[in-house]
Amino acid sequence: MNQPKQAARDPQVPATEAGRNWLGHWLQPTGLRAIISGLVILTLIGLVSLLVYETGGTRFAWLHLMYLPIILAAACFGIYGGSAAALVAGIVLGPYMPMNAFTGLPQTTSNWMFRIVFFLLVGAFSGMISNFLNGQIKRLKQTHQRLLQAHEELKNAQMQLIQTAKLESIGRLAAGLAHEVKNPLAVIQLGVDYLTRTAKADASRDSIEAIQEMADAVQRADTVIKGLLNFSRSEKLALVLVDLNSVIEESLVLVRHELTKHCIVLEKNLAEGLPKIELDQNKIKQVLINLFMNAAQAMGDSGTLSVKTFVQQINAGFAGQNPASASVVVQIEDTGSGIAEDKLDKLFEPFFTTKPVGSGTGLGLSVSKNIVELHEGTIKIANRTDIRGVAVTIRFPVQNRS
Amino acid sequence: MTKKKILVVDDEEAMTRMLKRNLEATNRYDVRTENSSSAAVTAASEFLPDLILMDMMMPGMDGGDVAAKLKEDKRLSHIPIVFLTAIVKKEEAQPTGSKIGGLTFLAKPVKLDDLITCIENHVGK
Repeated sequence: MNQPKQAARDPQVPATEAGRNWLGHWLQPTGLRAIISGLVILTLIGLVSLLVYETGGTRFAWLHLMYLPIILAAACFGIYGGSAAALVAGIVLGPYMPMNAFTGLPQTTSNWMFRIVFFLLVGAFSGMISNFLNGQIKRLKQTHQRLLQAHEELKNAQMQLIQTAKLESIGRLAAGLAHEVKNPLAVIQLGVDYLTRTAKADASRDSIEAIQEMADAVQRADTVIKGLLNFSRSEKLALVLVDLNSVIEESLVLVRHELTKHCIVLEKNLAEGLPKIELDQNKIKQVLINLFMNAAQAMGDSGTLSVKTFVQQINAGFAGQNPASASVVVQIEDTGSGIAEDKLDKLFEPFFTTKPVGSGTGLGLSVSKNIVELHEGTIKIANRTDIRGVAVTIRFPVQNRS
Repeated sequence: MTKKKILVVDDEEAMTRMLKRNLEATNRYDVRTENSSSAAVTAASEFLPDLILMDMMMPGMDGGDVAAKLKEDKRLSHIPIVFLTAIVKKEEAQPTGSKIGGLTFLAKPVKLDDLITCIENHVGK
């Protein structure tokens, strides 16, 4: 099958770019191209020499053609290449060469020396220009690369801003909506309670079941509203300097029963001596418990929940991040069935859930992401690469915190 | 057994009716309802309840304003007030009422059992 070229496939690369790249490859050759370029230059020197000798010696105008392979060598291999080609050209056109006998025109040593000096001057000067231009090209390429990276980062930041604005609007809407829905819900709850108390004695089994289903529905609606309120009210943090490991341990205690009930093995690998970071413990516990419960539900009745913490150094980026900055990372992995690739992007959207209808509000991960971002952290969810399952990675910055 | 008197103040009539219906069904409470916050103080001074169940957010005077007015009246200042509110989250409010700034709050929707426990905590069984 025909493989389309990169330049043709990428609409952002103009058509002339491919041509420039081709020329660039041959003007700065490496590997096999360097050998081919060297042979071509030597062949050209040889051909020009033959032409000079055949047409009457070094006094004739054809001699100037020798500057071509010298400049070519300088363009390809810089100052050393240009100088080397100049020397070779000088040697093959020397007065001692047997071919001089055929020209019938005697060469003097002084002429020859001048010629070599001129060749060397041209070769060295062209090489210097070539070296300078190559340096500029290299710097331009690096700048181009950094600009591309910065552009990509800006695009991501813009997407995040749009997403954040969207979530904030939903949050404001949710808070108002929650308040308005809670009042009628309270009336329904009290109505259900009244019917439960008064109608029980003479009610049919169907009536009792209907009342119970109404009570369950009220509870479910209340859970959704609770999620909405959490979503819209997580903007204030009670930050304290803590060891993330201790927050994880306390959260695990709260879900231990759930893990045991579902025969889930817990594997902890918490790094010792983690730098302390400023966290709202209750909110981070809410995030961790949500993730642990999600993992437990994904695994069903057996599996392994792995919780790992470590410190990760952040490399200096184009935006001039402090190279000394680091993150405290917590990674939560399960051995469930993983998440379909087309759903991974939607996981943090409010009301998106992969759970069966009625068993999830679809707000847990949105709230979690909101909380983590309020801590200036990041949260990512991906399928595991080693085995089936999901890996959640949360990073909290250490910089200026400990 | 003497019935405890409960004054229910909420701008939503369905809510006050439902609370009255539920509480009176226990045969332990005598309930009076009021749907206007401005009339709540007058209703309290006439009815002299053992406890006031009051919505927090109401048009005109809100629950806090009514409570302040009640505290100004020596005959009424001792009456415990339980605020029913849709703002407080379940996590912030205990099922049977939580104290925030010396006031008792119950989060809507409240279950009848929890409501009765809260009332009992203030006025006894």
